[in-house]
Amino acid sequence: MTRPGRDEDPDRLYTVTGGRSRSVAGADTFDLVTLVVSESAPVRGMQSEHAAILRICRFPTAVVELASDLGLPVSVVRILLGDLLAQGKITARHPRRAQTADALPDPDILKQVLVGLRNI
Amino acid sequence: MTSPEISPPPAAGAGRPAAGTGRTAAGPGTATAAPGTGTGTGTGTGTGTALALLVSAALAAAACLAAVYAADESARTAVAWGGGAAGVVLCVAVTVAARAVLTGRRLRAALAAGNARAAERERAETYFADAVVPAVVDRLRRGGSAETALAEAPAAASETQRRVLVTLAREVHKGENMRAAAMSACANAAGRVQALATGMAADLREMEHRHADEDVLADLLHLDHRTAQAGRIADSIAVLTGARSGRRWAKPIVMESILRGAMGRISGYQRVRLHSASEVAIAGHAAEGVMHALAELMDNAANFSPPTSEVHVYVEEVAAGVVITIEDGGLVMGEVALRRAQQAVSAEHNDLSTLSGTRLGLAVVGRLARKHGLSVSFRPSAHGGTGVLVRVPRELVTEPRRPESGAPAPAAAAPATSRGLLSAAPGTPPAGTHTRQPEPSTSGGPAPGHDGNESARTGEHESARTGEHEAARTGEHEAARTGEYATAAPPPQEFGASGLPKRRRGQTLAAVARASASRPSATGSSPDATGQSAALDRDRDPAAARTKRPSGTRFGDFRRAVQGAAPSDENATESGEETPASGATGRHATAPGAPSPARSSPFSEDDTE
Repeated sequence: MTRPGRDEDPDRLYTVTGGRSRSVAGADTFDLVTLVVSESAPVRGMQSEHAAILRICRFPTAVVELASDLGLPVSVVRILLGDLLAQGKITARHPRRAQTADALPDPDILKQVLVGLRNI
Repeated sequence: MTSPEISPPPAAGAGRPAAGTGRTAAGPGTATAAPGTGTGTGTGTGTGTALALLVSAALAAAACLAAVYAADESARTAVAWGGGAAGVVLCVAVTVAARAVLTGRRLRAALAAGNARAAERERAETYFADAVVPAVVDRLRRGGSAETALAEAPAAASETQRRVLVTLAREVHKGENMRAAAMSACANAAGRVQALATGMAADLREMEHRHADEDVLADLLHLDHRTAQAGRIADSIAVLTGARSGRRWAKPIVMESILRGAMGRISGYQRVRLHSASEVAIAGHAAEGVMHALAELMDNAANFSPPTSEVHVYVEEVAAGVVITIEDGGLVMGEVALRRAQQAVSAEHNDLSTLSGTRLGLAVVGRLARKHGLSVSFRPSAHGGTGVLVRVPRELVTEPRRPESGAPAPAAAAPATSRGLLSAAPGTPPAGTHTRQPEPSTSGGPAPGHDGNESARTGEHESARTGEHEAARTGEHEAARTGEYATAAPPPQEFGASGLPKRRRGQTLAAVARASASRPSATGSSPDATGQSAALDRDRDPAAARTKRPSGTRFGDFRRAVQGAAPSDENATESGEETPASGATGRHATAPGAPSPARSSPFSEDDTE
């Protein structure tokens, strides 16, 4: 039997977020697969989670991966990312699949074009 | 008149022994001596008087007879009558005088005895009050029962004292029992609340991971905060009642976590501003205490400053440790208040009688400071309020645990890794700690006489450790050996806070013993030592090492595990002998069945069999 919380850190999540439970960037800025890229190196004196995010996100990293690496809940990571985004230290890149799917022309139009081409 | 002059000496002679007897009887004990003195003096007086009467009567009768005999016939009757009357009068006078003298002497002796008794009694009472009672009370305070304390106390001089002592002992014992029972009940209750709070915090953490909804998260964080505050109160009571304090952390806790853990336990944590770029960590066993003390001080600072002002926390690394400053912009503490706070924090006494029900914080800080050797001082703050300086001693400051050292649980390794990466700046010296610095002496260092063999032994171990490029050089057998040894080689050994080697989970004691045996080569070898030992190893026949090592480690592990420290010396002598005789060992190794030369180590003997 393991003792509860034996290996975790003593700092509680509300101290990590400074008591906030909402991201300053709004709920839809970061979803689970949003890729985050750091725009600057961590500076001394920064909150350790912020510094860790900047370090991990030298290469584009999904929010869910970040949460897993940091061992923090996704909602907390979102709050931290919101802070960094507000300071301009990271950029968020949304996956384009939904947008590209929307941008594709309607299959009916394509069919009509195909028919028109054959008729030429 | 000769007879009155003669008669006192016998009387005095009779009286003196009587008084003397009385005085010697008064010696041993006042209580028992009292009747003896009275009877002794009384009989002495009686016999003395009777003796005086007898002597004077005899003398008077003799004088009377002589006078009658000497007188004329005619005057004889008158002389007889006169002499007889005079004799009688003389006898009466002598008797009365002797009795008076004896009585006076007896009374003087009785008075002196009474005085001596009084002095004796006073001395006994002083002793009783100054020595016996404090000794009994002290024994009771140290946890003895009433009977034990009474038995160990010196015997009471009188029955009254004994009764007083018994009553006192029973009452003090009862009071002490009640105090101990109350303390242990409090400690027990505090411990349970602590356990509950810890469990609840873990549960809440899980829930926080599970629920992504922001509203739910907000509620959970709120509950989490409340739980942490309740846990702090329980911790405070536990500290004051002398129970074990809170939880113990299994790893060093970095300063940022310490500060956040501390501020998370107070109600006004959002007003606390941390200014810390420190990368040090606090040793796990003391982390909880330091955190708790800081939490109490932060709580004080937040409570005694306006709700809009901020509390600033600074961390500074100094030669003597780490200084944490907590400054508030609240009320300025006056001279008296500062002194009182300082006294509360540094008070040496251990009782709870000075506690007022509402102000537990500083007493808790004082206890924790004493326990962990923190020094706490108060001073007016530049922010206008009060500043508290807490110095954590150097012994408790350490480096955060590196990811290379391997956290046992992979789940916990992720945050530790990220934090370790952050805080372990590349510039920090890897061996700059004291608590985790492995000591070469723990391997049961070789005797001074083996100093000459030290390099040889180092070379042997070093060859095993740096075996990789040698494998390419010495061929297939050597590669096999290196591979086998490399898999058997334990990971870098850990040392606990006490400086003793720690057995890792799943590792045998023998492996630990081997690791500690090879430790000097790991720590003591500088790069040039490595080169030298590699060169030394190159001169030796690789096959010799091969036969010796695997069997040697197998057998040697067992021996070390059984025999403890002895093998390290043996190991040193063995390798020292081997270096010159490597050729012989090589022959022995290539032809195992051949009769070996005279020299053989116990390991190779085992190999032959």
